[in-house]
Amino acid sequence: MEGIEQWKTEAQQWLQQGIEYAHQIPPTQLYAAVAVLLFTTLLLLTIRLLKRTKSNTIVLSGLSGSGKTVLFYQLRDGSSHQGTVTSMEPNEGTFLLHSESAKQKGNIKPVHVVDVPGHSRLRPKLDEFLPQAAGIVFVVDALEFLPNLSAVTEYLYDILTKASVVKRKLPVLICCNKTDKVTAHTKEFIRKQLEKEIEKLRVSRSGVSDADIANDYTLGIPGEVFSFSQCINKVTIGEASGLTGEISQVEEFIRAHVK
Amino acid sequence: MLEQLLIFTRGGLILWTCKELGNALKGSPIDTLIRSCLLEERSGAASYNYDAPGAASYTLKWTFHNELGLVFVAVYQRILHLLYVDELLEMVKREFSEIYDPKRVEYFDFDETFRQLRKEAEARAEELRKVKPMGNDGRKQQVVKKGSGGFDGGNKKNKSDAKEADGDDGKGRKLENGHSNGNHNVVGEGNRGMGLANGKENARSNNGAFDVSKLQKLKSKGVKKTTDTSVVVSKGSKADPKKKVTKKNRVWDDSPKDAKLDFTDPVEENGNENIQVMAADQGESMMDKEEIISSDSEEDEEDEEVGKDSKPDAKKKGWFSSMFQSIAGKANLEKADLEPALKALKDRLMTKNVAEEIAEKLCESVAASLEGKKQASFTRISSTVQAAMEEALVRILTPRRSIDILRDVHAAREQRKPYVVVFVGVNGVGKSTNLAKVAYWLLQHKVSVMMAACDTFRSGAVEQLRTHARRLQIPIFEKGYEKDPAVVAKEAIQEATRNGSDVVLVDTAGRMQDNEPLMRALSKLIYLNNPDLVLFVGEALVGNDAVDQLSKFNQKLADLSTSPNPRLIDGILLTKFDTIDDKVGAALSMVYISGSPVMFVGCGQSYTDLKKLNVKAIIKTLLK
Ligand SMILES: Nc1nc2c(ncn2[C@@H]2O[C@H](COP(=O)(O)OP(=O)(O)OP(=O)(O)O)[C@@H](O)[C@H]2O)c(=O)[nH]1
Ligand SMILES: [Mg+2]
Repeated sequence: MEGIEQWKTEAQQWLQQGIEYAHQIPPTQLYAAVAVLLFTTLLLLTIRLLKRTKSNTIVLSGLSGSGKTVLFYQLRDGSSHQGTVTSMEPNEGTFLLHSESAKQKGNIKPVHVVDVPGHSRLRPKLDEFLPQAAGIVFVVDALEFLPNLSAVTEYLYDILTKASVVKRKLPVLICCNKTDKVTAHTKEFIRKQLEKEIEKLRVSRSGVSDADIANDYTLGIPGEVFSFSQCINKVTIGEASGLTGEISQVEEFIRAHVK
Repeated sequence: MLEQLLIFTRGGLILWTCKELGNALKGSPIDTLIRSCLLEERSGAASYNYDAPGAASYTLKWTFHNELGLVFVAVYQRILHLLYVDELLEMVKREFSEIYDPKRVEYFDFDETFRQLRKEAEARAEELRKVKPMGNDGRKQQVVKKGSGGFDGGNKKNKSDAKEADGDDGKGRKLENGHSNGNHNVVGEGNRGMGLANGKENARSNNGAFDVSKLQKLKSKGVKKTTDTSVVVSKGSKADPKKKVTKKNRVWDDSPKDAKLDFTDPVEENGNENIQVMAADQGESMMDKEEIISSDSEEDEEDEEVGKDSKPDAKKKGWFSSMFQSIAGKANLEKADLEPALKALKDRLMTKNVAEEIAEKLCESVAASLEGKKQASFTRISSTVQAAMEEALVRILTPRRSIDILRDVHAAREQRKPYVVVFVGVNGVGKSTNLAKVAYWLLQHKVSVMMAACDTFRSGAVEQLRTHARRLQIPIFEKGYEKDPAVVAKEAIQEATRNGSDVVLVDTAGRMQDNEPLMRALSKLIYLNNPDLVLFVGEALVGNDAVDQLSKFNQKLADLSTSPNPRLIDGILLTKFDTIDDKVGAALSMVYISGSPVMFVGCGQSYTDLKKLNVKAIIKTLLK
């Protein structure tokens, strides 16, 4: 107790000294100092705000083997190099899209692209990137689509019901990949199948048990058959072939949301 | 022959493959390796076997460069027992990391370097093979002497050896010498590489143990007398006790079984007493309740713990040096730096009842992921290790497959098929009681449930289940005792299809994992009925025995199955979770060994006492 008392008196003395010292400084200098201080804090604040509102992060997600890493390198280098294997870590990079860097049109903003591995054990990583994302590309393997249908749907459902997606109305592009192969399913087929499967999931998950599964929001409008148009955020569907470099729809999506 | 050697980033981009080898690998051994070994925290193992569709069966070996985030994988035919692979990988790693540049994605210039490294490694292996049959000290001393004699000696030796070898080998060795620098000591180098590989292999896997033990013998005989290879000798001798330890570990069966048998039966009876008659509604099953962790208090506790832990650590190292290290950030983490922290972590895991074998493997895997990495400034090694372990634990405990049973039930309902769950496990773990809890939970979700009493072995089992069925007012299918359980289950499922039940819960007799006839019966039951879910019921109390139980169950189900692709355990129900305090290790052991998620946790005596596993809380407890 005594210690605290002592501290108090000491502090008071210092305060006094400080005030006295302040009185000695000419007021103009004081005002200038205060102004500079205010200005810098304001500047820092605005920079942070700007950064927040104008994110340039695009997240590539989707099951393992859907072709995210290939897509990532196509976007960055315009080539998939010597091929890929299952990713063990996210790929990240901030760059001008390869197709744009050729043009050199001056002030285009670089995009921060993150490729989050699809292996289910690595999915928690997705939550690290979603809060700063400006858009999500959900890559679907159009070739091996039906065997993976329920796994794809589940992952997509999880993403579409995450608070970080719904609250911020993150746009999602469902990208049907590998369309270079003739046996690939069309995007219309894939959309219908996904909507149908999500409808089933919605029925089994909503109403029954909210606490069971950690979904933050429910999807769609109760009483109506689910379609992507019911989502609060914009969900579009597109086609691409990462391997052959036909990725214009992905690039358009990215440029529509990172300006 | 080496089939393929790949260098890729942890992000998954292939940087270099050996085009010369050019063999198209059958199947996808690399992806399988990554998915089922490296990402399952088994990267501490020495090798991985992959059976490609068709005849080919590969062995894969790998090494990480953690600082650069690179992975090196070699693939070869399993029958070949290539001895030089570990060494070659190490050499490739060393050479490649010199030219690696994160901005570069193509390394065609590495082709030439690799060609040389490979020849070097092959030559060395050939040499060892030749030395081996001779086995006498005289010869070996000679080789060593020549080696330590420096460059010239090495050359001389090569010349004399070349006579015995065929022409190709001779060339290989000359090339090797051309590449090496003056003080290159052939034998010493070779042994060092092998020594490393040795320690690794002894500690964990029996793959290729044959070759290794041979090598080891060879080494202890041959290299003893040299001075400059003392490192190797000490390593070799260190490896020996290690080997013994693992051997001891393998004798699981002798370990006391935690007095489990005496304990469970009363509990089950208790359970029956405690559940009131007309228990049809005991309220919401805890499966559906959001678990509220009093996070503040727990966090405080944790902080305290960390504080406690760090003190002795810091003291040992000397306050100043550890402080300095933490500020400056140590250059690269080395195995020796990690050892104390890993040891402490392993012990901590073991006090939480994690099976020793699992704790060991996890630590190895964490070590493999940290070795060579730059340590961040302002961190202690122990916290770096702890963070890496936490990440690993999150990965392990995150379910690989969907654990949304209700969805699968709905899907089955659509196809007008009952969803069949078979409960399996050793004696007295609470299969029937927890089956009833699952039934109760399903009932609450408006799913119609039927029980099938397929424990036709233990007297009283059918009656016990009947009591539960009556209380929950659900139908039960029973055929008394002395019947083949597989057939009873089959009839039960047919009955369920007829009366439109959504789910059939099949109770089976508890059996010890070593009981061959009973395991065969179980395998038949599963094969015949092809259930949607094989649920392993295990006690949260088990320690080291968890590994034995689960691995043997899976093994027996695989071995005794008559079908080509046998069904294994899909999920785990952990019982008696309320009795274990902070000894939650069994959850980790079981998930690690089986690769299946914990789907339910039984935590009390009433029907509502069924929960989901709270992964975050488990990890927190494990690392506390
Ligand atoms: N035919 C075809 N194959 C493709 C295409 N894109 C990717 N692939 C192949 O699909 C496989 C997987 O591609 P990755 O990019 O590694 O898959 P990923 O989505 O990154 O997978 P994870 O890293 O495991 O999440 C590779 O073998 C690619 O060659 C495509 O457009 N067409
Ligand atoms: Mg990838």
